[in-house]
Amino acid sequence: MSPAATSVLLAVVVTVVKGLLVIIVLLTGFAYLTLIERKVSARIQLRYGPNRVGPFGLIQPAADAVKLLFKEKVAPEGRDRFLYLLAPALAACAALFAFSAIPVNQTICIAGTHGAGPLSARCPGGYPLHWDVANINVGLLFILAITSLGVYSIFLAGWASNSKYSLLGGLRSAAQLISYEMAVSFALIGPVLLAGSLNLETVVNQQHSLWFVFLQPMGFLLYFTGALAETNRLPFDLPEAESELVAGYHTEYSGMRFGLLQMAEFVNVITVCSIATVMFLGGWMGPFFFLPNWLGPLWFGAKVGLLIFVMMWVRWTFPRLRYDRLMQFGWKVLLPLGMANVLLTSVFVALH
Amino acid sequence: MTVIFGIAAVLAFGGALGVVLSQRTLYSALSLVLNMVSLAVLFLLLDAQFVAAVQIIVYAGAVMVLFVFIIALLSPGAEERVRPLELRMLFGGVLAAVFTVVIGRLALNGITVTNNGHFHGALGPFSPSLVDAHGQVQTLGEQLFTTYLLPFEVTSLLLLVAAVGAVYLSKHRRVSS
Repeated sequence: MSPAATSVLLAVVVTVVKGLLVIIVLLTGFAYLTLIERKVSARIQLRYGPNRVGPFGLIQPAADAVKLLFKEKVAPEGRDRFLYLLAPALAACAALFAFSAIPVNQTICIAGTHGAGPLSARCPGGYPLHWDVANINVGLLFILAITSLGVYSIFLAGWASNSKYSLLGGLRSAAQLISYEMAVSFALIGPVLLAGSLNLETVVNQQHSLWFVFLQPMGFLLYFTGALAETNRLPFDLPEAESELVAGYHTEYSGMRFGLLQMAEFVNVITVCSIATVMFLGGWMGPFFFLPNWLGPLWFGAKVGLLIFVMMWVRWTFPRLRYDRLMQFGWKVLLPLGMANVLLTSVFVALH
Repeated sequence: MTVIFGIAAVLAFGGALGVVLSQRTLYSALSLVLNMVSLAVLFLLLDAQFVAAVQIIVYAGAVMVLFVFIIALLSPGAEERVRPLELRMLFGGVLAAVFTVVIGRLALNGITVTNNGHFHGALGPFSPSLVDAHGQVQTLGEQLFTTYLLPFEVTSLLLLVAAVGAVYLSKHRRVSS
């Protein structure tokens, strides 16, 4: 085999293995997030939460999966058959696909002379192992593009169900996602300006002396607030507000189709928390530099986990916003603040 | 590469056909989304990651979401088909033929075929290696704000006019009713 063909084959094999690993980790993460969410909510409401299946209820996700698989799949009359089935699949694909550009550790050089220092990703004579599925030079834009396609799944699920509650949930979510996408994008421009790159690995490497959360406290808060809305979490969960819309866009889904929509939601939570970690919290970097490299993914996981916990905490502590307030908050508070943040940051970068 | 190009091209073409041929409006809009995403894949094959990402964010992620939103809000019924008149079909056929020739001429302009059957387009001032060395986003941004500043600003003015017009129309109607 020619060297070119070998390198192509190697790239394909490595990508497939990394992709499978990411899917396994994300799906396990989703399964246990459902349990953790119930546990956290129980603790906040002074209850015990699920504790019957296995020690501390640890096998509960498996029981839930079996229940969903064997449930009768009730589908509404007069639905759009193709789109009704397409929506959950699209939701799951978009959610899993978006994670592929997120680096969970710095590039490691295998069998080559590593460039000077931890900042160098160059690897002459060896194989540079990137810790993301696809090292894209506009990685951040790629993730934003994929998550913006995720709107369709929620919207189509609501439309294809042929149900008033679902349609209202879908319409609300489309309007909400478009509104908050602006604020989220503006919040993310701050770190991009500071790092001078859209490549996520470069952004993390630029934070080796100081995490961007300390330079961009406002940007971080704006992003986190917007992310709550983007993932339809309380206090912004109007698309599935159970007191008015039953369950919003997934009212008419049951069995594993419901499971797929739920999975997309939790994987999106993991993804937005990972983006926040990469852009603001220094990614895989620990607080001390002398710690070994292989701790990187663990630090990354710890930070993501902390952010997810805050999201759950917020969910069970704050009441839901009214819909017009939600829109006003997005357009009249978050967006102007995001613009001001971008302006201030650009002046700072230009003067520096 | 060729295989991916083939798949993306077929999907883009199928999406474009779906826009015209499907009877339900929502399916037309979704076909357009398919077309735009396939075009983004073609941009990716040309090593234009930034353009590909922007294509998806702006067209598929923002413009088409609004289209789909409006379509679902109004929920129009299936399109009514009238029997196409002979004259209309003739006219359409002539137009299609003319445009195929014109666009084909433009697309083939400067393309040379090498001995081993590869196609090469006309070379502009920016080679892929040059753009990559300078950074894709940087190159595009610099060009937009220097060489193409006037068209860029005129376009933004056009969008502003459209936005002001839309706000005026919606406010005006509410006052009069």
